[in-house]
Amino acid sequence: MLVLSRKIGEQITVGNSVKVTVLSFDRGIVRLGIEAPKSIPVHRKEVHDKIVETNKAASQTDINSLRDAVSSNNVNLNKNAKIKTIETPLVKKNKVIEE
Amino acid sequence: MQKQEVVNIRTLHFGELEIPKQNILDFEFGILGFEDLKQFIIVSEEETEPFKWLISVEEPNIGFPIVDPWLLDNNYNPGRGFNLEEDAIFSIVTLGKKDQNMTANLKAPIVINIKDNKGKQVILPNDKYSPTFIVSKK
Repeated sequence: MLVLSRKIGEQITVGNSVKVTVLSFDRGIVRLGIEAPKSIPVHRKEVHDKIVETNKAASQTDINSLRDAVSSNNVNLNKNAKIKTIETPLVKKNKVIEE
Repeated sequence: MQKQEVVNIRTLHFGELEIPKQNILDFEFGILGFEDLKQFIIVSEEETEPFKWLISVEEPNIGFPIVDPWLLDNNYNPGRGFNLEEDAIFSIVTLGKKDQNMTANLKAPIVINIKDNKGKQVILPNDKYSPTFIVSKK
């Protein structure tokens, strides 16, 4: 790990497009200002890690649990949503080769 | 009419599927935690509509249930930077085994631009949205 010392107001650069500024330091809390292009997402690491964890859990969803939940009408969906996401290319499950 | 180019994949959830190449969505940066997976398709089965599945073309054993977030929250607002005329937005859904809630990730939606079939997962800056929004309680 590269370790740098910076004073308040000083900056570091990452690559050609990311700038980090030390804004303040107070009672153990460092405030950083980060300038990065939109193509480089910047997030607190714990938020990023939580999404990774959530995705991993989602990938373990059992299809039969989902079928059961939907068929038991256990899922409350807002059927009169004012906004609806647009349609995407869709593959319909082929019932003939259902296993 | 020109014949569609298709590829066959063997999925965990739906067995063998023949998918038109034009349906394949490119995820340049993958999905968080699954950065190596760059190509996905969306599969639906009538039985579980409006839930659909985002399934990896490269690892067809990996799939994520997804749902239109406005079906969960009428006032869902992913914020600026999206064009809802061409960006489809979905939330990834998690449903564990028995005795667990069904949750949806409103914090980091999947965004698919239908003009160029490019997809990505975006973490919204808005702290109001939870990655584990409760859809239904067990």
